[in-house]
Amino acid sequence: MSISQETHISLAHGNGGRFMRELIDGIFFRHLNNPLLNTRSDAASLPELTSRLKMTTDGFIVNPLEFPGGDIGSLAIHGTVNDLAVSGAEPKFIALNAFIEEGLEIALLDRLVGSLAAAARNAGVQVVAGDTKVVSRGEGGGLYLATTGIGCSVDGLDLDIMNIRPGDKILVSGSVGDHGTAIMLAREQFGMSGDLKSDSAHVLPLTRAIYPLPGLRFLRDPTRGGIVSIMQEIRQATGLGVRLSESGIPILDPVASVCSMLGYDPLYLACEGRVVAVVANDSAQQALASWRALPDGENAAIVGEIENSSQHVILETELGGERILEELEDDPLPRIC
Amino acid sequence: MSAVTREIELDGQVQGVGFRPFVYNLAQRHALTGWVVNLKGRVRIQVSGDPDVLDQFADDLVRLAPAIARPHIRSVRQVGFADPGGFKILTSDSEQQADIHIPPDYALCDACAAELDDPNDRRFRYAFNNCTQCGPRFTIIRALPYDRRNTSMAAFKMCKCCAAEYHDPGNRRFHAEPVACPACGPQLSFSSDGIVESDPERALERTIKAIRDGHTVAVKGVGGYHLVCDARSQRAVANLRLQKNRPHKPLAVLVTPDWFERHVNADDVTRSLIMHTARPIVLCDVEPGVLADGITMGMPSTGLFLPYSPLHQRLLQSFDGPLVATSANLSGEPVLTDNVDVETRLGGVCSAYLHHNRAIVRPADDSVFNIIAGKARPMRLGRGYSPYELTLPFELAEPILAVGGQMKNTIALGWNNRMVMSSHIGELTSPRSLSVFENAVTDLQQLYEVDASVIACDAHPGYASHRWAMQQSSAREVIEIFHHHAHAGALTLENPAGDKPWLVFAWDGTGFGEDGTIWGGETLLGVPGNWRRVASFRPFRLPGGDRVSREPWRSAASLCWHSEYNAYNAPKYELLHSAWLKGINALYSSAAGRLFDGASALCGICEQASFEGQAAMLLEAYADSHAVAETLEIYHQNGILLADWRTLPAKMSDDSLSLTDRASWFHATLAETLVEIARRCRETYGDFRIGLTGGVFQNRCLAEQALKRTAESGFETVLPQQLPCNDAAISAGQIIEVHSRR
Repeated sequence: MSISQETHISLAHGNGGRFMRELIDGIFFRHLNNPLLNTRSDAASLPELTSRLKMTTDGFIVNPLEFPGGDIGSLAIHGTVNDLAVSGAEPKFIALNAFIEEGLEIALLDRLVGSLAAAARNAGVQVVAGDTKVVSRGEGGGLYLATTGIGCSVDGLDLDIMNIRPGDKILVSGSVGDHGTAIMLAREQFGMSGDLKSDSAHVLPLTRAIYPLPGLRFLRDPTRGGIVSIMQEIRQATGLGVRLSESGIPILDPVASVCSMLGYDPLYLACEGRVVAVVANDSAQQALASWRALPDGENAAIVGEIENSSQHVILETELGGERILEELEDDPLPRIC
Repeated sequence: MSAVTREIELDGQVQGVGFRPFVYNLAQRHALTGWVVNLKGRVRIQVSGDPDVLDQFADDLVRLAPAIARPHIRSVRQVGFADPGGFKILTSDSEQQADIHIPPDYALCDACAAELDDPNDRRFRYAFNNCTQCGPRFTIIRALPYDRRNTSMAAFKMCKCCAAEYHDPGNRRFHAEPVACPACGPQLSFSSDGIVESDPERALERTIKAIRDGHTVAVKGVGGYHLVCDARSQRAVANLRLQKNRPHKPLAVLVTPDWFERHVNADDVTRSLIMHTARPIVLCDVEPGVLADGITMGMPSTGLFLPYSPLHQRLLQSFDGPLVATSANLSGEPVLTDNVDVETRLGGVCSAYLHHNRAIVRPADDSVFNIIAGKARPMRLGRGYSPYELTLPFELAEPILAVGGQMKNTIALGWNNRMVMSSHIGELTSPRSLSVFENAVTDLQQLYEVDASVIACDAHPGYASHRWAMQQSSAREVIEIFHHHAHAGALTLENPAGDKPWLVFAWDGTGFGEDGTIWGGETLLGVPGNWRRVASFRPFRLPGGDRVSREPWRSAASLCWHSEYNAYNAPKYELLHSAWLKGINALYSSAAGRLFDGASALCGICEQASFEGQAAMLLEAYADSHAVAETLEIYHQNGILLADWRTLPAKMSDDSLSLTDRASWFHATLAETLVEIARRCRETYGDFRIGLTGGVFQNRCLAEQALKRTAESGFETVLPQQLPCNDAAISAGQIIEVHSRR
């Protein structure tokens, strides 16, 4: 029986035999085919690289596997590439692990791996090694992916959270909360995701555009916990305060309206294709202009600044009040009478 | 009879109230010799004379004490005879260990008020006039003992005249620490558009003119700044509301005693409360039409208060009409106190400021009272009452710091048999609130020289006070108290004597419950430290998390959806309805406050609120007490009684009934349901006293009916008078609960 005749993944696809070979060749290798990916070897041989290497690893679990604006395949590439990009590295190679749940539709897997391959090509990275495992029905959410990425450090770039100084400006490359909102709507099958798409994308044009800025201090991609979690990270690492301006933070109307209906705060919701940059005050306008010149950066904005007059993450509300943005609760409970 | 010598020690409110000159004069009158000395927080007197006269003297010490003093004789003992020949006031001794009592701020006394009006007096029109019987205390004290050098008056060197009065035991300004006059004391200044008028009289004139022109002026008072405007001008009030972004919440109005008598039909309780030396804001029924409509925005009563400082007296005299005087702050934050701060933070709200140069050491918002069932009930204890102290009915084994809740936050410090509370701090969501909170924690412990070894906090993990407490857990033991247990504990302080257990109805908007759901309609049986939930409301989901508190329509929608009542089914509700079905950001709650919100929204009275409690207050405004009450169905589940509200949506949406009928029915039915729960509990558990607490019982219509109906069923029922029934009492309740558990 060949892979083309099976419609769903069975445990046999993980037993090391023919089914597994057909799965790897027929789906993974077919999509990911590149000179460095060799199914007959247990390790990839990589070309010699001249600069220092950076390595990152990440796991991807998302429900649903396909969602408006993306899927788990492209998300895995974007997540890995973006982690390298905000660390000041040009992504080069990726190793991939796929944990496939018994019963997953093969056509869906094919689409997801195809999407992953396209995202990799688009970001200029090669998947050079991989492995698959099949887990029993009920033991995995359809498909889990784990990636490891290697990139080359960009010369002369010194990105470090400890470089951050009072007075530095905080920029975000686009609207916040899109991914979190889109996923929530898709997952809960609210059936109204029309206007809402995940922002899942690689951020290389954005990061490359501001690497040369002398005042660039620190970059991060806001994923789980949204931009507030990055601000909390900055606060905790540096002991400095962060002041965000509510009116300056780009939020798309449909995101704002869904969040306001459901009672969520988009500042705590994940993005998958945005960058937060902390830059010296005198480089802020230049950074903003470089981003706004890019298609993925047209909504970029200066959203706040670093201060030493407080040690909180403070949101200046549109009405002129101040609200402390606390670290995300596991389970936000109503606090107000 | 031969002369003897006795040493008398007093504590209580004996410092900063003119007690030593009173003792001096009293000793003179009885022709006794000896001395009086201030110890820290205590007064010691040695007097020699005939035993009969000494007995009379001791009686008079309490009976004739100055109005604002509250002396307690702690001990009287006979000592070796001594006759120093004359009576002296000795200098304070700060080394002594004794109970510390800190006086609150007092309203202008009659003697000082008369000087303000006397062109021949050197304090004519002086806005900072005070004596031992009046003036600021708590808000100017930096440290103890209470001497001028430890207050914000240290910056002003007394002139010769003031110094002479200060040192003269026969003068009513003897050791009046904030004593001042135009030659040496604080002064007013007016600032607008960057131009400063520092002549005090012209500063006041400019202020009055700005108010007359319809502007809002930020005026620095005793415990903070007020935003002040003309209370008769609809335009000025609307303007203030717009600038302060306070569209509906009622505004307090400062009026003269004459105005009060002319336009308020007040009973004796109201009158004596509003005249009290703390000068609280009292909710009053004002003659219609004499104030701008925008002041109460549809609420039946108006918060009025009388001038409490010479400055406010002068403002009212010069303006000659009622003035809106609302705390100058950003919503939910403590009142602003600093000259520079106020101009920075309120730049968008007003452009004129009447400053003065006496620093306010700690903020104290105005206190607020309501009259329910003929008794004064505090809603907020601040200026004039702070530091608010209660005597505990037990001795604490160790000092406890209780950090309160999240909204209307106060903190409390308990040690020995004493408990002192901070002034109103407010909502702990802004950095300023949190910094005032942290200052209060340090401040109370320093002032009273108590170092708490235990911290009590609310069990809600998301409260800022809870987070703060957890950060201290390496150094001090932290104990979490469930919100409604704290409410119940605080309630028992109202009447701690007696053996009967309590049945406490703790009804409010939200609190983290023992079962992880949001409580707020609970009936707790027991005694402090040991509460058992015996009844509640049928749980319902709160769709949208914290948003339900400002959007009463969400409660209404949820009640309808649970009751399968045909409403809130338009397409725009589909998303929320699916979230509600799936329980996404839609926790279960049993909060009575949300039932009021739902009822108000279902009647169409208030679907969107701009402040907490607005929907319930507007609903109450329609209610009278004549409705025929029904009882909600009460059923057993998991060993407790649950009141089922599922008849509400149909009843409250019934357009064939007037709003008054519906609102009245709702209040009467909740009161009757409460009584029915109590009756069933009595059958099951035997006798108890009933307590009513939680912010919902600030509702006069509900509270009065609950008191009346429980009394008719033979219950003894307590509605708080010492502490607010709202979350301001959480800190006090936490102390009671921590102690009682140990």
